[in-house]
Amino acid sequence: MNAMDRNFVADLATSFAPPKIALSNIHVRFPAPDGKVVPILEGVSFDVPAGQFVSIVGPSGCGKSTLLRIVSGLLKPAAGEARIDGQMIAENGERVGFMFQRDTLLPWGTVEDNIRVGAELSGVPASAIPARLQELIAFLRLTGFEKHRPHQLSGGMRQRVALGRLMAYEPQIYLLDEPFGALDSQTKSAMGRELLKVWARHRRSVLFVTHDIEEAVTLSDRVIVISSRPGRIKKDIEIDLERPRDPASLRKNSRFADYVEEVWAALDVVRDLDV
Amino acid sequence: MAVSDTSEVLPAPRRPSFAGSLDVRLLRDRLLVFFAFLLLWEAAGWFGINPLWISSPWAVAERMYQLAGSGELFLHMQRTLTEAALGLILAFAVGVPLGIAMARYRYAHSVAEPFIMALYSLPRVALAPLFIIWFGIDLFSKVMMSFSTVLFIFMLNVHEGLKTIDNDLLDLFRTMKAPRHYVLRKVILPWLVPWVIASLRIGIGLALIGAVVAELIGSSAGLGWYIEHSAGRLDTTGVFTGLVSLTVIAVAGNIIVARLEKRFSSWRPS
Repeated sequence: MNAMDRNFVADLATSFAPPKIALSNIHVRFPAPDGKVVPILEGVSFDVPAGQFVSIVGPSGCGKSTLLRIVSGLLKPAAGEARIDGQMIAENGERVGFMFQRDTLLPWGTVEDNIRVGAELSGVPASAIPARLQELIAFLRLTGFEKHRPHQLSGGMRQRVALGRLMAYEPQIYLLDEPFGALDSQTKSAMGRELLKVWARHRRSVLFVTHDIEEAVTLSDRVIVISSRPGRIKKDIEIDLERPRDPASLRKNSRFADYVEEVWAALDVVRDLDV
Repeated sequence: MAVSDTSEVLPAPRRPSFAGSLDVRLLRDRLLVFFAFLLLWEAAGWFGINPLWISSPWAVAERMYQLAGSGELFLHMQRTLTEAALGLILAFAVGVPLGIAMARYRYAHSVAEPFIMALYSLPRVALAPLFIIWFGIDLFSKVMMSFSTVLFIFMLNVHEGLKTIDNDLLDLFRTMKAPRHYVLRKVILPWLVPWVIASLRIGIGLALIGAVVAELIGSSAGLGWYIEHSAGRLDTTGVFTGLVSLTVIAVAGNIIVARLEKRFSSWRPS
């Protein structure tokens, strides 16, 4: 078999393999205080192929975070099927890494302690943990801060620690719920670059929830726009910009601007606010 | 990567300050207040208040010296201290798991809540005569009195502490499929440390109350017994000597807890 054939066979195999994440016709309802049932998500379906970076944008309360909670297994949809690698999520042993807007670090733990949690839960042998910690700490440029506690770190550093814990866990899927939402814009764009670096290294599937449309376009292969409650998919936009991407030069790219405009238009927010 | 690291550098971990570096001025002023109080007390005798009612610091000091010499002071202090300490430790050992169980088994807690609150609201000193009947006039009844006064403090504080636990943090561990014992060890128990220390702080005083009340009612040793015994003979100097000794125990206990607090809460932002 020559190289071309082998590639062909590999492509064939991936095209028959189930997508990394498959959501079909997902419905979520929450009980309201007055006893009524509020629909949060209504008939949301999409697939995420292995290694794809997908952003989810939409107005507050549209159920973006709820989607992540379903994929993480924290929440069961009222109706519809959620699968990872073709298996229902509840029974699935697939490793999923979650990151919240708040850093959710152990406040009493040092940088090392916090990253160690991910390594310990990943099941690597204890003997391999120190080397792994050291490598991650260097990769995330936290060297010298190993013994610091979260309250002694800046917001950006805390999120780097949370990212380190996530990486130490070695998840197959990254679920990021506005992880940089609380950071100032400079730190945010630096963290975006950091995240792309992480992603380029392992090429895991990413579901990234954000309010920031430019951030979504900069990072993603695909941006899914969700309508306000009840959340439905309004638009699914492929972002066809070459990688590796440099956020600074992207801003001058006219296709980048077009994509941003397209997402804005799908969101419909500007018009709502103008009236 | 052009992230400016310098802007993110924060001061190195603070070293906890120890009691050795206590503010000299504060110490001096506290001593001043203390001696002023002693002076007033002593002076009250000169201005015609009968020492039969209030004794005097000098007489108390003399008595303490005398009791210390005969070993009696040590005996009584040790007795009361043992009772209160055992009661406190027992309340900790039982109260913390119960508090965790209350948070863990919500329905069972809802069922039990009115009964817990009824017992909590009951002035437990009223149980002392019963405890003497049940557990005798020796050490055990005092330990049980101490235990019953402090138990609820641990239970309710731990339960309250768990209500404030960061749910995102728990969710995060859940998404990483952390086993239950791992979450207990890494999240829940460390989270409870400040609450347990706060309980200890309140518990010290309450444990002493429990022990002393039981001693007043029926015992053959301990500071409570000594106070009761002295009062029966109108020996106010003896009563005050007992009170001062109790105060010394309480203050020492509080100093220990303050140390613990400093040791275990260094992660908290100031």
